[in-house]
Amino acid sequence: MTDVTIGQPVRRSEDERFLTGRGRYIDDINLEGQARAVVLRSVYAHARIKNIDASGALAMEGVLLVVTGEDWIAEGFGPMPTKTAIRKNRDGSELSEPPRHCLAIGRVRYVGEPVALVVAETDPIARDALDLIDVDYESLDAVTDAVEALAPDAPQLWDDIPGNLCIDFELGDREGVEKAFAEADHVITLDLENNRVTAVPIEPRGCVGSYDPETDTYLLYNSTQNVHAIRDTLAENVFGIDKEKIRHIAPDVGGGFGVKNSAYPEPPLVLYAAKKLGRPVKWINNRSESFLSDTHGRGQTSRVQLAIDNDGTFRALRTETVAGIGAYCWTIGPFTPTGGSARTQGGPYDFPVMYYRSRAVFINTGPMDPYRGAGRPEATFQTERIIEYAARQLGLDPIEIRRKNLMRPEKLPHKTSMGLNIDCGDFPKVFERTLKLADPGSFAERAEQIKTAGRRFGFAIAPYLECTGGGPKEFAGVAFGADGTVSLSVGSQSTGMGHETSMAQLLAARLGIPFERVEYHQADTDKTPIGGGHGGSRGMELGGNAVAQAAGEVIEKASGLAAHLLQSKAADLTFEGGSFKDSGSGASVSMVEVIEASFDSERLPDDLEPGCLDTGSTFERGEISIPNGCHAAAVEVDPKTGAILLLGYWVVDDFGTIINPLLADGQVMGGVAQGIGQVLTENIVFDDSGQLITGSLMDYGLPRADGVPDMVIEYYEGAPTKKNPLGVKGAGEAGCVGSLPAVVNAVLDALKEFGVVHIDIPLTSEKVWRAVQDQGAHDPKGLIEGAL
Amino acid sequence: MPKIALSVNSQPVSHDVEGRLLLVDFIREVLGLTGTHVGCDTSQCGACVVHVNGQPVKSCTLLAVQADGADVTTIEGVSPDQGLNPLQQAFHEKHGLQCGFCTPGMVMTAMALIEDNPDPSDADIRHGLEGNICRCTGYQNIVEAVRTGAKVMRG
Repeated sequence: MTDVTIGQPVRRSEDERFLTGRGRYIDDINLEGQARAVVLRSVYAHARIKNIDASGALAMEGVLLVVTGEDWIAEGFGPMPTKTAIRKNRDGSELSEPPRHCLAIGRVRYVGEPVALVVAETDPIARDALDLIDVDYESLDAVTDAVEALAPDAPQLWDDIPGNLCIDFELGDREGVEKAFAEADHVITLDLENNRVTAVPIEPRGCVGSYDPETDTYLLYNSTQNVHAIRDTLAENVFGIDKEKIRHIAPDVGGGFGVKNSAYPEPPLVLYAAKKLGRPVKWINNRSESFLSDTHGRGQTSRVQLAIDNDGTFRALRTETVAGIGAYCWTIGPFTPTGGSARTQGGPYDFPVMYYRSRAVFINTGPMDPYRGAGRPEATFQTERIIEYAARQLGLDPIEIRRKNLMRPEKLPHKTSMGLNIDCGDFPKVFERTLKLADPGSFAERAEQIKTAGRRFGFAIAPYLECTGGGPKEFAGVAFGADGTVSLSVGSQSTGMGHETSMAQLLAARLGIPFERVEYHQADTDKTPIGGGHGGSRGMELGGNAVAQAAGEVIEKASGLAAHLLQSKAADLTFEGGSFKDSGSGASVSMVEVIEASFDSERLPDDLEPGCLDTGSTFERGEISIPNGCHAAAVEVDPKTGAILLLGYWVVDDFGTIINPLLADGQVMGGVAQGIGQVLTENIVFDDSGQLITGSLMDYGLPRADGVPDMVIEYYEGAPTKKNPLGVKGAGEAGCVGSLPAVVNAVLDALKEFGVVHIDIPLTSEKVWRAVQDQGAHDPKGLIEGAL
Repeated sequence: MPKIALSVNSQPVSHDVEGRLLLVDFIREVLGLTGTHVGCDTSQCGACVVHVNGQPVKSCTLLAVQADGADVTTIEGVSPDQGLNPLQQAFHEKHGLQCGFCTPGMVMTAMALIEDNPDPSDADIRHGLEGNICRCTGYQNIVEAVRTGAKVMRG
């Protein structure tokens, strides 16, 4: 029996099954009599489909079904709509949204686009059958670069969407910024790229579906982050059926990071095939197909401009972005480069005015959708890069100008030009603490040694501002068992973050019951009426608060029974340390005893039944929270080879109340590592014809154990938010938000004597070496000029 | 179809297998030992590491027929019926796993690493785990877990 508290580094309940190979991931699920599906994907980035001849495949022994786009349309199935919260152009008109069907209809628009589904007795037979489907393509010109796609003579993806423009968005004070630009001592301009990357959860996507003709219902096991929202899309938009007709379950999910948040075409195809064939159907993506068919993230080209005075005071910030979102609007594809990247512009600095404009553009590539941070890493990168660049251009100390412009705590609450309501925090304190932990001055001797050895030392500090996101409601249900177990069902979802532990910890701590008694359930549309899944660092903010709210309801219900047991009045009872106590008589009864009594007819009053303590509670967020913090990085760069070595990494985060610091650390470490990966080696590259060049783990450089440094992580818990009862601010994505500028700016600091002031990420050895050779020559207005 | 006979987790097994069947698919699909995972198709990720004759091997790089006569140990074979072995316990204590998908391969590689080098430095551990990709943890806690596990195993 273990008593746990909030803030305790409780070890995880889920570990044992994962460590012993008893986890149950999607590919571990096999249904009796299942067939196997594979997807025939487009080999062209842009082509008309003149004809599909599947007769060869259908004639092959063991092949059961081939489904094409024509079949799909003939069934009357609908497209999957985008659920972006930003839908209006600057002029007030609606964004352009082409229909996104599960299979290409008449025309393919990216390499990897599903053209047909093949179902066979086994996976190898289905894969062999792919080669026997004859697709007659008429190749069309493709465009994979978003800036080029805006050019007047660019290939057009959609006949009815002129200029490939999905949405032209703006936020902030355009005129105010122009005025500040005219008045400021300097306006510093930098074009930069936040390169396109992909999440690569180590478990590829997959699903297993079945159909029950007796009840006319579907069962879908899916490696997803969001069972409720995706079920709704499948039922209401694709099949046109009641959403209760689909039970959607995510088993153990091997990582998500946003990439499993989308409504993908394969699960509805699998459900359709299962109904058509009258047997379960399983589909598992392989890694190479994942690179082609998983959503990608970042991929923004921007011009960032900072108005700054001689004394280093920030006067205004303006960012203009062009972002390719693929050939269609995915689940929230148009949101990331618009609202997602706008809100945290300017970071924790006191900018009097800001303006943000961005255009989301259709290009002949696979889809873009959220990747850890979904716009906030981009915003922080833009903000911190222009500050560092301006400091270098004007000969100012990059640490000092940051310190000078950080928003003071007495300024809070403050609403920024981007409409973000920053309620609390102490940015200067977090900044100074990070600087103290990193102690760059202590590296002086080492920097000399490094220089003597022909390399260079670099350091940078990067404050960041975050905001949460995702569905605004969450459900938590608590049900007690006569055997003492407590079933906790929550609509938010862990794909590795450890909710099985942290949510149970929260409930056990609030109720004062043994942690081990809590059985955690998630990601099953039959277990919770609603659920927001995973995304936007919402786990504790929504799910945690729902659990806390449910715990409060249980305590309320239990106090009536406790009063009956103690022969007191509920109003005279206090609940503390897991026990109800009568303040008058001093008599007490524990929650555990009250729960036991709730199943004992001898002790239950006549008007109560066993199970009377059960509750189901929906928590609704009032306003998104503002996590914030500061990162610092120390690096060593070899100018002769361009090789970069990370020497140290420090983080101080303000996530509000910390429920479990062990798990919070894990989130930060993993997020920072993903940021380091993007900065140093990860890159999605297409050739001019739209073929993916980095389509396997041989070509796409994920960080390895020998490339990520140890990190020192601390939390500032002096400013829990009042926006939610737990005071939590969200922890899942912040690591990715601060790490991009910290590492890039540290590398550029190391290269300052070579005149290198900017290199676009990823900072591959070749690019670093070339920048040194070129003495930093670069065009600050090189990337986006053509689109402005 | 060729017939193979081998030992898996100290149990003799024999099966007719297709020539193109990978060892990892034999382990997962034929024997139903699903603790060994598949995370890529280019032998990069290491989620499928098992021990073949005591050596850590990415089981997607071998055909099942190449394991004929071999001694194969999977994550199930190094896990106690109840609880965890000392290295697994260290992963648990140090929070060296999140989603758990890379974890069996990581544990199998680390066990072989400690067998070869009972007192590895952090650099040894990071180098030794270079063939196993984890996307969740940032590796720091895995390194700490292996260091701690090695210490416990040295006694």
